[in-house]
Amino acid sequence: MAKIENGRQSVDTRSIRTISSSHIDDESSLGSDSEINGFTSDRQTDKYGFIGGAQQYSETSAQDVPPAVLRQREVKWLDMLNHWDKWIIKRFDKVRLRCQKGIPPALRGRAWLYLSGGKVKKEQNQGKFQELDNQAGEPKWIDVIEKDLHRQFPFHEMFVSRGGHGQRDLFRVLKAYTVYRPEEGYCQAQAPIAAVLLMHMPAEEAFWGLVQICERYLPGYYSPGLEAIQLDGEILFALLRRVSPLAFRHLEKHKIDPILYMTEWFMCAFSRTLPWASVLRVWDMFLCDGVKIIFRVGLVLLKCMLGTREKLKACQGQYETMELLRAIEPRYMQEGFLVREILEVPVTARDVEREHHAQLKRWRKTRGELNSKPAPRMHGARHVMMSEPPGRQDLQQNPTIVVEVPPPKGKEEKKSKKKRSMKKPQTIMEIPNPYPLPTDPPPPPPPTDPPAPPPVRDHTIETAPQADTDSLQQPQQAPPTDRPPAEESPALQQSTQSLSSTELDTYL
Amino acid sequence: MNGQIMGSDEAYNFVFKVVLIGESGVGKSNLLSRFTKNEFNHDTRTTIGVEFSTRTVQLNTFTIKAQIWDTAGLERYRAITSAYYRGAVGALLVYDITKHLTYESVERWLKELYEHADPHIVVMLVGNKTDLESERSVPTEEAKDFAEKKGILFLETSALNSSNVEEAFNSVLTEIHKKVSSKEVVRGSINAVTLNGSKEETTEESKPCCRNI
Repeated sequence: MAKIENGRQSVDTRSIRTISSSHIDDESSLGSDSEINGFTSDRQTDKYGFIGGAQQYSETSAQDVPPAVLRQREVKWLDMLNHWDKWIIKRFDKVRLRCQKGIPPALRGRAWLYLSGGKVKKEQNQGKFQELDNQAGEPKWIDVIEKDLHRQFPFHEMFVSRGGHGQRDLFRVLKAYTVYRPEEGYCQAQAPIAAVLLMHMPAEEAFWGLVQICERYLPGYYSPGLEAIQLDGEILFALLRRVSPLAFRHLEKHKIDPILYMTEWFMCAFSRTLPWASVLRVWDMFLCDGVKIIFRVGLVLLKCMLGTREKLKACQGQYETMELLRAIEPRYMQEGFLVREILEVPVTARDVEREHHAQLKRWRKTRGELNSKPAPRMHGARHVMMSEPPGRQDLQQNPTIVVEVPPPKGKEEKKSKKKRSMKKPQTIMEIPNPYPLPTDPPPPPPPTDPPAPPPVRDHTIETAPQADTDSLQQPQQAPPTDRPPAEESPALQQSTQSLSSTELDTYL
Repeated sequence: MNGQIMGSDEAYNFVFKVVLIGESGVGKSNLLSRFTKNEFNHDTRTTIGVEFSTRTVQLNTFTIKAQIWDTAGLERYRAITSAYYRGAVGALLVYDITKHLTYESVERWLKELYEHADPHIVVMLVGNKTDLESERSVPTEEAKDFAEKKGILFLETSALNSSNVEEAFNSVLTEIHKKVSSKEVVRGSINAVTLNGSKEETTEESKPCCRNI
């Protein structure tokens, strides 16, 4: 433990921003945001966008999925997203399993939007976000939000620049929420939630994701009075008794109020606590299964840090205990370890609800009636969908790049039935392939009279004739050899197809 | 009071819990980091929940471990502050000298403080951000008079350039120590020092050798 004494160094060593560099004008859009702010190349940005090792990225403990497996998973996820309602209603166990394994990064943003029900909300409220975006908003909320913009993930390249598009979008999303729910206004913990969403999707979608989290997954967390978070603190503590009696007794003995350690954990869904790889895994499961995941993470951390007599010997009092909980050992937060532990915790959504009732009763006895009664909590994606059933068109993806592919021979009738739910593209754009292979024939000139568009095929069907969606799919960069030559439509381009260039849009 | 060694690697006579309160954005977190770690950051993250840090200081012959607590300033977070105030013997009520609104809410903060904290708590009104003198909107004299009227200490600081930060914390700690020395102190857990000698803060594991009579 470092000695803290009077005569210490006066060098401001830890802050990345020195006082002088903060005067740099950040309005310019030239160059990357991080370069403008004087970050030199010795401040490495990790693969998640964090600068200088912030958010604890570690090469050694990184759990990198082999690319072949990633491609497999992407294809499976694309299939699920194309038939979302069916998967959620009929095969949710499989959805859950895939969330537990980790959503492939290329599809994470889209998957989160679908899991949370944000996609449906967006489609059912077309134009709403623009309307909210156009309004000025109440000055008192604008003031507080603006103060906070440079204080969310300031070491992430998306948000590092004052006035940059990351901060601007954060402002738009948070302001829109205060206009959407004026009685709720703005709560500071919403900013990190919105920021995490914005790292994966554009502003409008992040907005609806935020709405779902604030109103379905964690209702009341951000409301005036903060009663819901206090109640969940009591629930967490009560659940701890079963999961780790030692930790429970210690916290009880030292009168350590749950609010003192779980507030930031829960209100930010661990986005400010865990290394980033773990944050993403937790959110994958959280958006699938609801708040019980958040409870489980809290219980794992408490059990790891306070669950043995040996550990408790080191903290004799309230302050020492809190210091321990504030500096969770990295090995307990490491992606692989944490996910395994989370899956082992014997706490179900029903347990949470049962304890919720018990604590509510206790609250009423000791503190009187709740000031605000939030909506009932939705325990995950299935629950959300059952309560907010989508129309067919609400789940359809709206690609902006559409590529025609010819149907595979023989499977056409069977597939076309399945494909009924696929949205017909508005216009087929004949896009000449700018990167033809040397062996490709030169692209034909665009026809003046485009033929009737053939049904657009999902990439999975194209490359694997068998219907088994779990089979290994390996879309290659080179054109697949089983594809018939492009004789059916003169407009068909022999483009090199990688997964990212299918009809389905991916957001970075 | 004679020296009593408590804790694993630091020798100190007392532990004083001091809380930082005030509107969002006035500089509480930076006052904390400046005092305890000699650090300042323009982009400290918004405080959500509770942050804290310690620093051990020498006051005359005594070694004081100051436990400084920091929390969110936003209005609605006041709903969860009672746990935060428990055991606090000092408070720094911070406002931003360039934002008059943050000064106007000082009265409300004081009320909140006296509702939740020890009635004998030592309070200092702190006008922060003196480095932005050109944008000042709260006159020093006005705030000074107000503090005098309320019987609380007063100083203006800059966490950015460190001006008066040590002085602010040290005067609060000195004042606390004066109060503590003049009253019977019952020490329970390693952290709690109360001013009124009540048994409220002691835990079941109070050791007889720690009791000062």
